[in-house]
Amino acid sequence: MSDLDLRATSSTGLPATGAAQVSLVDILDRLLGTGVVLAGDVTISLAGVDLVDIRLNALITSVRADMRRQGWGAP
Amino acid sequence: MSGTGRYLFAVARDLRVAELTGTQGFHGTPIDVVERDGLSAVVCDVDLGEFGEEPLTRNLEDLTWVERVARTHNDVVWRVAAAATCAPLRLVTVCADDDSVRAKVDSLRTELENVLDRIEGRQEWSVKVLVPQGAAVEAEPAATPTSGTDYLRRKREAAERRRDLSDEAVRAAREVHDVGHAHAVASRQLAPQDPRLTGRTETMILNAAYLVEAGEHEVFTTALRAAAEQHPSVTVEVEGPWPAYSFAVLG
Amino acid sequence: MGRAVTDDARGRLRQRIDSDPDSVARDLFKLVLSIIELVRQLMEAQALRRVDQGDLSDDQVEALGLGLQRLEEAMEELKSRYGLTTADLNLDLGPLGTLLSDNP
Repeated sequence: MSDLDLRATSSTGLPATGAAQVSLVDILDRLLGTGVVLAGDVTISLAGVDLVDIRLNALITSVRADMRRQGWGAP
Repeated sequence: MSGTGRYLFAVARDLRVAELTGTQGFHGTPIDVVERDGLSAVVCDVDLGEFGEEPLTRNLEDLTWVERVARTHNDVVWRVAAAATCAPLRLVTVCADDDSVRAKVDSLRTELENVLDRIEGRQEWSVKVLVPQGAAVEAEPAATPTSGTDYLRRKREAAERRRDLSDEAVRAAREVHDVGHAHAVASRQLAPQDPRLTGRTETMILNAAYLVEAGEHEVFTTALRAAAEQHPSVTVEVEGPWPAYSFAVLG
Repeated sequence: MGRAVTDDARGRLRQRIDSDPDSVARDLFKLVLSIIELVRQLMEAQALRRVDQGDLSDDQVEALGLGLQRLEEAMEELKSRYGLTTADLNLDLGPLGTLLSDNP
Protein backbone atom coordinates (compact mmCIF):
# COMPACT_ATOMS: atom_id res chain seq x y z
CA MET A 1 0.00 0.00 0.00
CA SER A 2 1.40 3.36 -1.01
CA ASP A 3 1.18 5.54 2.05
CA LEU A 4 2.03 9.20 1.87
CA ASP A 5 1.89 9.83 5.58
CA LEU A 6 3.13 13.37 6.10
CA ARG A 7 4.49 13.89 9.58
CA ALA A 8 2.68 16.43 11.71
CA THR A 9 4.93 19.41 12.21
CA SER A 10 2.56 22.28 12.81
CA SER A 11 0.01 23.36 15.36
CA THR A 12 -2.85 21.87 13.39
CA GLY A 13 -0.95 18.73 12.47
CA LEU A 14 -0.60 19.77 8.86
CA PRO A 15 2.91 20.24 7.50
CA ALA A 16 3.07 23.68 5.91
CA THR A 17 5.19 22.34 3.05
CA GLY A 18 2.89 19.45 2.17
CA ALA A 19 1.15 21.29 -0.66
CA ALA A 20 3.66 20.28 -3.31
CA GLN A 21 3.00 16.58 -2.70
CA VAL A 22 -0.59 16.82 -3.84
CA SER A 23 -1.14 15.94 -7.49
CA LEU A 24 -2.67 18.57 -9.77
CA VAL A 25 -5.66 16.38 -10.53
CA ASP A 26 -6.37 15.99 -6.80
CA ILE A 27 -6.09 19.76 -6.34
CA LEU A 28 -8.46 20.48 -9.21
CA ASP A 29 -10.92 17.81 -8.03
CA ARG A 30 -11.15 19.69 -4.78
CA LEU A 31 -10.77 23.34 -5.68
CA LEU A 32 -13.26 23.04 -8.51
CA GLY A 33 -15.60 20.46 -7.05
CA THR A 34 -15.69 21.16 -3.33
CA GLY A 35 -14.77 23.90 -0.89
CA VAL A 36 -16.71 26.97 0.13
CA VAL A 37 -18.68 28.58 -2.68
CA LEU A 38 -18.87 32.28 -2.04
CA ALA A 39 -20.42 34.48 -4.70
CA GLY A 40 -17.70 36.96 -5.41
CA ASP A 41 -18.39 40.28 -7.12
CA VAL A 42 -16.62 39.40 -10.29
CA THR A 43 -16.68 35.65 -10.21
CA ILE A 44 -18.38 33.76 -12.94
CA SER A 45 -20.10 30.55 -12.08
CA LEU A 46 -17.70 27.67 -12.41
CA ALA A 47 -20.51 25.13 -12.47
CA GLY A 48 -20.22 24.71 -16.22
CA VAL A 49 -16.46 24.32 -16.33
CA ASP A 50 -15.65 20.79 -17.33
CA LEU A 51 -11.94 20.22 -17.58
CA VAL A 52 -12.26 17.05 -19.57
CA ASP A 53 -13.91 18.98 -22.37
CA ILE A 54 -11.61 21.95 -22.40
CA ARG A 55 -8.31 21.51 -24.19
CA LEU A 56 -7.86 17.97 -22.96
CA ASN A 57 -4.52 17.57 -24.61
CA ALA A 58 -3.13 20.68 -22.99
CA LEU A 59 -4.21 19.44 -19.59
CA ILE A 60 -2.76 16.00 -20.09
CA THR A 61 0.51 17.60 -21.10
CA SER A 62 0.62 19.77 -18.02
CA VAL A 63 -0.49 16.97 -15.68
CA ARG A 64 2.08 14.59 -17.12
CA ALA A 65 4.85 17.18 -16.83
CA ASP A 66 3.72 17.70 -13.27
CA MET A 67 3.96 13.96 -12.63
CA ARG A 68 7.43 13.72 -14.11
CA ARG A 69 8.54 16.50 -11.82
CA GLN A 70 7.20 14.50 -8.92
CA GLY A 71 9.11 11.46 -9.98
CA TRP A 72 6.35 9.22 -11.36
CA GLY A 73 7.86 6.60 -13.61
CA ALA A 74 6.73 6.12 -17.20
CA PRO A 75 3.46 4.15 -17.41
CA MET B 1 -11.52 45.79 -17.24
CA SER B 2 -9.11 47.51 -14.91
CA GLY B 3 -8.40 47.93 -11.24
CA THR B 4 -7.76 45.46 -8.50
CA GLY B 5 -9.91 43.00 -6.65
CA ARG B 6 -9.44 40.79 -3.62
CA TYR B 7 -9.01 37.09 -4.34
CA LEU B 8 -10.26 34.88 -1.50
CA PHE B 9 -8.32 31.74 -0.67
CA ALA B 10 -9.89 30.54 2.57
CA VAL B 11 -11.72 31.51 5.70
CA ALA B 12 -10.10 30.60 9.00
CA ARG B 13 -10.87 30.85 12.68
CA ASP B 14 -8.44 32.05 15.35
CA LEU B 15 -5.81 32.60 12.73
CA ARG B 16 -2.36 33.44 14.01
CA VAL B 17 -1.47 35.95 11.33
CA ALA B 18 2.22 35.83 12.23
CA GLU B 19 2.37 32.29 10.89
CA LEU B 20 1.50 33.58 7.42
CA THR B 21 4.41 35.99 7.18
CA GLY B 22 6.10 35.62 3.86
CA THR B 23 3.21 33.75 2.25
CA GLN B 24 2.65 34.96 -1.28
CA GLY B 25 -0.38 34.99 -3.51
CA PHE B 26 -0.21 35.46 -7.27
CA HIS B 27 2.77 37.08 -8.96
CA GLY B 28 4.53 37.49 -5.61
CA THR B 29 1.75 39.66 -4.15
CA PRO B 30 1.70 39.32 -0.37
CA ILE B 31 -1.20 37.63 1.40
CA ASP B 32 -3.51 39.76 3.55
CA VAL B 33 -5.98 38.85 6.23
CA VAL B 34 -9.37 40.55 6.50
CA GLU B 35 -10.72 40.01 9.99
CA ARG B 36 -14.36 39.95 10.96
CA ASP B 37 -15.38 38.99 14.51
CA GLY B 38 -13.14 35.99 14.92
CA LEU B 39 -13.23 34.88 11.33
CA SER B 40 -10.31 35.65 9.04
CA ALA B 41 -10.61 35.80 5.29
CA VAL B 42 -7.26 35.17 3.63
CA VAL B 43 -6.95 37.31 0.52
CA CYS B 44 -4.56 38.89 -1.90
CA ASP B 45 -4.78 41.66 -4.49
CA VAL B 46 -5.38 40.60 -8.04
CA ASP B 47 -5.49 42.52 -11.27
CA LEU B 48 -8.98 42.54 -12.72
CA GLY B 49 -7.38 42.52 -16.14
CA GLU B 50 -6.49 38.93 -15.31
CA PHE B 51 -9.19 37.91 -12.83
CA GLY B 52 -12.13 39.99 -13.98
CA GLU B 53 -15.17 38.25 -15.40
CA GLU B 54 -14.26 38.56 -19.07
CA PRO B 55 -10.50 37.83 -18.83
CA LEU B 56 -11.39 34.96 -16.51
CA THR B 57 -13.52 33.27 -19.16
CA ARG B 58 -10.51 33.27 -21.43
CA ASN B 59 -7.97 32.34 -18.79
CA LEU B 60 -9.99 29.38 -17.58
CA GLU B 61 -9.51 27.83 -21.01
CA ASP B 62 -5.76 28.13 -20.70
CA LEU B 63 -4.75 25.15 -18.65
CA THR B 64 -1.30 26.48 -17.93
CA TRP B 65 -3.02 29.42 -16.27
CA VAL B 66 -5.45 27.17 -14.41
CA GLU B 67 -2.60 25.01 -13.17
CA ARG B 68 -0.61 27.99 -11.90
CA VAL B 69 -3.63 29.49 -10.13
CA ALA B 70 -4.71 26.16 -8.64
CA ARG B 71 -1.24 25.42 -7.30
CA THR B 72 -0.84 28.88 -5.79
CA HIS B 73 -4.30 28.66 -4.27
CA ASN B 74 -3.47 25.23 -2.88
CA ASP B 75 -0.13 26.42 -1.45
CA VAL B 76 -1.86 29.27 0.40
CA VAL B 77 -4.61 26.96 1.69
CA TRP B 78 -1.95 24.64 3.12
CA ARG B 79 -0.10 27.49 4.85
CA VAL B 80 -3.34 28.69 6.41
CA ALA B 81 -4.46 25.18 7.37
CA ALA B 82 -1.13 24.58 9.12
CA ALA B 83 -1.83 27.63 11.30
CA ALA B 84 -5.55 27.37 12.06
CA THR B 85 -8.86 25.67 11.33
CA CYS B 86 -9.36 26.57 7.69
CA ALA B 87 -12.20 26.30 5.22
CA PRO B 88 -10.75 26.49 1.69
CA LEU B 89 -12.74 28.42 -0.89
CA ARG B 90 -13.42 27.09 -4.32
CA LEU B 91 -11.13 28.23 -7.11
CA VAL B 92 -11.50 31.87 -8.16
CA THR B 93 -13.61 33.93 -5.82
CA VAL B 94 -12.90 37.63 -6.31
CA CYS B 95 -14.44 40.45 -4.33
CA ALA B 96 -14.30 44.14 -5.19
CA ASP B 97 -12.61 45.23 -1.94
CA ASP B 98 -12.25 44.47 1.77
CA ASP B 99 -15.66 45.93 2.65
CA SER B 100 -17.17 43.48 0.21
CA VAL B 101 -15.16 40.65 1.75
CA ARG B 102 -16.43 41.57 5.20
CA ALA B 103 -19.99 41.81 3.93
CA LYS B 104 -19.77 38.34 2.39
CA VAL B 105 -18.35 36.86 5.58
CA ASP B 106 -21.18 38.52 7.54
CA SER B 107 -23.87 37.14 5.26
CA LEU B 108 -22.50 33.59 5.49
CA ARG B 109 -21.34 33.66 9.08
CA THR B 110 -23.58 30.87 10.37
CA GLU B 111 -22.72 28.49 7.56
CA LEU B 112 -19.03 29.31 7.81
CA GLU B 113 -19.05 28.67 11.55
CA ASN B 114 -20.81 25.34 10.95
CA VAL B 115 -18.19 24.28 8.43
CA LEU B 116 -15.36 25.31 10.74
CA ASP B 117 -16.99 23.44 13.63
CA ARG B 118 -17.21 20.37 11.43
CA ILE B 119 -13.56 20.40 10.41
CA GLU B 120 -11.88 21.75 13.56
CA GLY B 121 -9.23 19.35 14.84
CA ARG B 122 -9.76 17.08 11.86
CA GLN B 123 -7.94 16.42 8.62
CA GLU B 124 -8.80 15.06 5.22
CA TRP B 125 -7.35 11.80 3.97
CA SER B 126 -7.56 10.69 0.37
CA VAL B 127 -8.05 6.99 -0.36
CA LYS B 128 -7.95 5.60 -3.86
CA VAL B 129 -8.44 2.03 -4.98
CA LEU B 130 -7.06 1.08 -8.37
CA VAL B 131 -7.06 -2.05 -10.46
CA PRO B 132 -3.83 -2.55 -12.37
CA GLN B 133 -4.46 -2.91 -16.11
CA GLY B 134 -3.35 -6.19 -17.52
CA ALA B 135 -4.43 -7.93 -14.35
CA ALA B 136 -7.15 -9.36 -16.57
CA VAL B 137 -4.62 -10.56 -19.12
CA GLU B 138 -4.66 -14.33 -19.57
CA ALA B 139 -2.65 -16.11 -16.92
CA GLU B 140 -1.97 -19.09 -19.12
CA PRO B 141 0.13 -18.93 -22.32
CA ALA B 142 -1.91 -18.21 -25.45
CA ALA B 143 -1.70 -21.65 -27.08
CA THR B 144 -3.57 -22.11 -30.36
CA PRO B 145 -7.09 -23.40 -29.80
CA THR B 146 -7.46 -26.98 -31.04
CA SER B 147 -10.98 -26.51 -32.38
CA GLY B 148 -13.86 -24.09 -32.62
CA THR B 149 -15.32 -25.56 -29.44
CA ASP B 150 -11.99 -25.18 -27.66
CA TYR B 151 -11.81 -21.55 -28.82
CA LEU B 152 -15.18 -20.82 -27.24
CA ARG B 153 -14.25 -22.63 -24.06
CA ARG B 154 -11.13 -20.49 -23.66
CA LYS B 155 -13.16 -17.36 -24.33
CA ARG B 156 -15.65 -18.29 -21.68
CA GLU B 157 -12.92 -19.01 -19.16
CA ALA B 158 -11.27 -15.67 -19.91
CA ALA B 159 -14.59 -13.87 -19.49
CA GLU B 160 -15.14 -15.65 -16.16
CA ARG B 161 -11.68 -14.72 -14.96
CA ARG B 162 -12.35 -11.09 -15.85
CA ARG B 163 -15.69 -11.22 -14.08
CA ASP B 164 -14.13 -12.74 -10.96
CA LEU B 165 -11.40 -10.12 -10.88
CA SER B 166 -13.96 -7.42 -11.43
CA ASP B 167 -16.20 -8.75 -8.63
CA GLU B 168 -13.21 -8.99 -6.33
CA ALA B 169 -12.15 -5.43 -7.18
CA VAL B 170 -15.63 -4.14 -6.38
CA ARG B 171 -15.63 -6.07 -3.10
CA ALA B 172 -12.22 -4.63 -2.26
CA ALA B 173 -13.37 -1.09 -2.95
CA ARG B 174 -16.46 -1.56 -0.84
CA GLU B 175 -14.53 -2.98 2.11
CA VAL B 176 -11.81 -0.35 1.93
CA HIS B 177 -14.48 2.34 1.94
CA ASP B 178 -16.31 0.71 4.86
CA VAL B 179 -13.10 0.59 6.89
CA GLY B 180 -12.24 4.19 6.05
CA HIS B 181 -15.72 5.36 6.88
CA ALA B 182 -15.75 3.46 10.19
CA HIS B 183 -12.64 5.32 11.35
CA ALA B 184 -13.70 8.74 10.14
CA VAL B 185 -16.08 11.45 11.24
CA ALA B 186 -17.36 11.84 7.70
CA SER B 187 -16.62 10.56 4.23
CA ARG B 188 -17.22 11.73 0.73
CA GLN B 189 -16.90 9.90 -2.54
CA LEU B 190 -15.40 11.83 -5.41
CA ALA B 191 -15.64 10.77 -9.03
CA PRO B 192 -12.90 8.31 -10.04
CA GLN B 193 -10.24 10.29 -11.84
CA ASP B 194 -10.21 10.13 -15.61
CA PRO B 195 -7.12 8.25 -16.80
CA ARG B 196 -6.81 10.81 -19.57
CA LEU B 197 -6.14 13.42 -16.87
CA THR B 198 -3.97 11.37 -14.54
CA GLY B 199 -2.02 9.62 -17.27
CA ARG B 200 -2.27 6.41 -15.26
CA THR B 201 -3.19 3.17 -16.94
CA GLU B 202 -4.87 1.62 -13.89
CA THR B 203 -8.62 1.83 -13.55
CA MET B 204 -9.61 3.86 -10.51
CA ILE B 205 -12.62 2.32 -8.81
CA LEU B 206 -12.68 4.35 -5.62
CA ASN B 207 -11.71 7.98 -5.03
CA ALA B 208 -12.81 8.91 -1.54
CA ALA B 209 -12.10 11.55 1.08
CA TYR B 210 -12.33 10.90 4.81
CA LEU B 211 -12.49 13.43 7.64
CA VAL B 212 -10.38 11.98 10.44
CA GLU B 213 -9.70 13.28 13.95
CA ALA B 214 -6.14 14.55 14.08
CA GLY B 215 -5.19 12.15 16.85
CA GLU B 216 -6.71 9.12 15.12
CA HIS B 217 -4.82 9.08 11.86
CA GLU B 218 -2.59 6.18 12.85
CA VAL B 219 -5.59 4.01 13.73
CA PHE B 220 -7.11 5.04 10.39
CA THR B 221 -4.06 4.21 8.27
CA THR B 222 -3.37 0.97 10.15
CA ALA B 223 -6.93 -0.25 9.57
CA LEU B 224 -6.69 0.64 5.87
CA ARG B 225 -3.38 -1.15 5.54
CA ALA B 226 -4.99 -4.28 7.00
CA ALA B 227 -7.92 -4.02 4.59
CA ALA B 228 -5.52 -3.53 1.66
CA GLU B 229 -3.64 -6.71 2.62
CA GLN B 230 -6.90 -8.68 2.34
CA HIS B 231 -7.18 -7.62 -1.30
CA PRO B 232 -3.82 -8.03 -3.04
CA SER B 233 -5.36 -7.78 -6.50
CA VAL B 234 -5.99 -4.05 -6.07
CA THR B 235 -3.77 -1.11 -5.20
CA VAL B 236 -4.82 1.04 -2.26
CA GLU B 237 -3.33 4.52 -2.05
CA VAL B 238 -3.67 6.58 1.11
CA GLU B 239 -2.56 10.21 1.17
CA GLY B 240 -2.77 12.78 3.90
CA PRO B 241 -3.21 14.62 6.08
CA TRP B 242 -4.61 17.33 3.85
CA PRO B 243 -6.69 20.44 4.56
CA ALA B 244 -10.37 19.49 4.71
CA TYR B 245 -11.38 20.72 1.24
CA SER B 246 -13.99 18.08 0.60
CA PHE B 247 -15.83 18.85 3.83
CA ALA B 248 -15.84 22.61 3.53
CA VAL B 249 -19.05 22.76 1.55
CA LEU B 250 -21.51 25.29 2.94
CA GLY B 251 -25.00 24.31 3.99
CA MET C 1 -0.66 33.96 -24.70
CA GLY C 2 -1.67 30.39 -24.11
CA ARG C 3 -4.69 30.84 -26.35
CA ALA C 4 -2.63 32.25 -29.24
CA VAL C 5 -0.36 29.23 -29.11
CA THR C 6 -3.35 26.90 -29.17
CA ASP C 7 -4.98 28.70 -32.12
CA ASP C 8 -1.75 28.38 -34.04
CA ALA C 9 -1.42 24.71 -33.19
CA ARG C 10 -5.01 24.09 -34.23
CA GLY C 11 -4.41 25.83 -37.54
CA ARG C 12 -1.36 23.71 -38.18
CA LEU C 13 -3.25 20.57 -37.24
CA ARG C 14 -6.08 21.40 -39.66
CA GLN C 15 -3.55 21.95 -42.41
CA ARG C 16 -1.93 18.62 -41.69
CA ILE C 17 -5.22 16.75 -41.90
CA ASP C 18 -6.11 18.45 -45.19
CA SER C 19 -2.79 17.78 -46.87
CA ASP C 20 -1.87 14.36 -45.49
CA PRO C 21 -3.86 11.65 -47.29
CA ASP C 22 -2.14 8.84 -45.40
CA SER C 23 -3.33 10.27 -42.14
CA VAL C 24 -6.88 10.61 -43.43
CA ALA C 25 -6.86 7.00 -44.62
CA ARG C 26 -5.46 5.83 -41.31
CA ASP C 27 -8.07 7.72 -39.31
CA LEU C 28 -10.89 6.32 -41.43
CA PHE C 29 -9.43 2.86 -41.13
CA LYS C 30 -9.28 3.25 -37.38
CA LEU C 31 -12.94 4.29 -37.30
CA VAL C 32 -14.07 1.37 -39.41
CA LEU C 33 -11.97 -1.13 -37.45
CA SER C 34 -13.32 0.23 -34.19
CA ILE C 35 -16.85 -0.49 -35.26
CA ILE C 36 -15.93 -3.95 -36.53
CA GLU C 37 -14.15 -4.68 -33.25
CA LEU C 38 -17.23 -3.61 -31.30
CA VAL C 39 -19.43 -5.90 -33.35
CA ARG C 40 -16.92 -8.73 -32.96
CA GLN C 41 -16.92 -8.37 -29.17
CA LEU C 42 -20.71 -8.26 -29.08
CA MET C 43 -20.93 -11.36 -31.28
CA GLU C 44 -18.45 -13.17 -29.07
CA ALA C 45 -20.47 -12.35 -25.94
CA GLN C 46 -23.70 -13.36 -27.64
CA ALA C 47 -22.17 -16.65 -28.83
CA LEU C 48 -21.08 -17.52 -25.30
CA ARG C 49 -24.59 -16.82 -24.04
CA ARG C 50 -26.11 -19.08 -26.74
CA VAL C 51 -23.68 -21.89 -25.90
CA ASP C 52 -24.47 -21.52 -22.20
CA GLN C 53 -28.19 -21.74 -22.97
CA GLY C 54 -27.45 -25.29 -24.11
CA ASP C 55 -29.74 -25.41 -27.14
CA LEU C 56 -26.98 -25.77 -29.74
CA SER C 57 -25.72 -29.06 -31.11
CA ASP C 58 -22.02 -29.91 -30.83
CA ASP C 59 -21.59 -29.25 -34.55
CA GLN C 60 -23.25 -25.86 -34.21
CA VAL C 61 -21.01 -24.93 -31.30
CA GLU C 62 -17.96 -26.00 -33.29
CA ALA C 63 -19.02 -23.99 -36.34
CA LEU C 64 -19.74 -20.93 -34.18
CA GLY C 65 -16.34 -21.17 -32.51
CA LEU C 66 -14.49 -21.58 -35.79
CA GLY C 67 -16.30 -18.62 -37.30
CA LEU C 68 -15.42 -16.38 -34.38
CA GLN C 69 -11.86 -17.59 -34.38
CA ARG C 70 -11.50 -16.72 -38.07
CA LEU C 71 -13.02 -13.31 -37.41
CA GLU C 72 -10.57 -12.62 -34.60
CA GLU C 73 -7.65 -13.70 -36.78
CA ALA C 74 -8.84 -11.43 -39.58
CA MET C 75 -9.07 -8.51 -37.13
CA GLU C 76 -5.53 -9.13 -35.91
CA GLU C 77 -4.30 -9.06 -39.48
CA LEU C 78 -6.13 -5.82 -40.25
CA LYS C 79 -4.87 -4.16 -37.06
CA SER C 80 -1.29 -5.13 -37.72
CA ARG C 81 -1.42 -3.60 -41.22
CA TYR C 82 -1.67 -0.16 -39.64
CA GLY C 83 0.16 -0.99 -36.45
CA LEU C 84 -2.99 -0.60 -34.34
CA THR C 85 -3.70 -2.23 -31.00
CA THR C 86 -7.13 -2.86 -29.50
CA ALA C 87 -6.50 0.10 -27.20
CA ASP C 88 -6.08 2.32 -30.27
CA LEU C 89 -9.55 1.33 -31.42
CA ASN C 90 -11.22 2.48 -28.24
CA LEU C 91 -13.10 5.54 -29.48
CA ASP C 92 -14.00 8.26 -27.06
CA LEU C 93 -17.72 8.97 -27.27
CA GLY C 94 -17.63 11.86 -24.80
CA PRO C 95 -20.40 11.59 -22.22
CA LEU C 96 -21.12 8.05 -23.37
CA GLY C 97 -17.69 6.92 -22.29
CA THR C 98 -15.55 4.80 -24.53
CA LEU C 99 -16.75 2.52 -27.28
CA LEU C 100 -15.28 -0.77 -26.14
CA SER C 101 -15.54 -2.14 -22.64
CA ASP C 102 -12.46 -2.35 -20.45
CA ASN C 103 -12.15 -5.98 -21.47
CA PRO C 104 -9.56 -6.79 -24.12
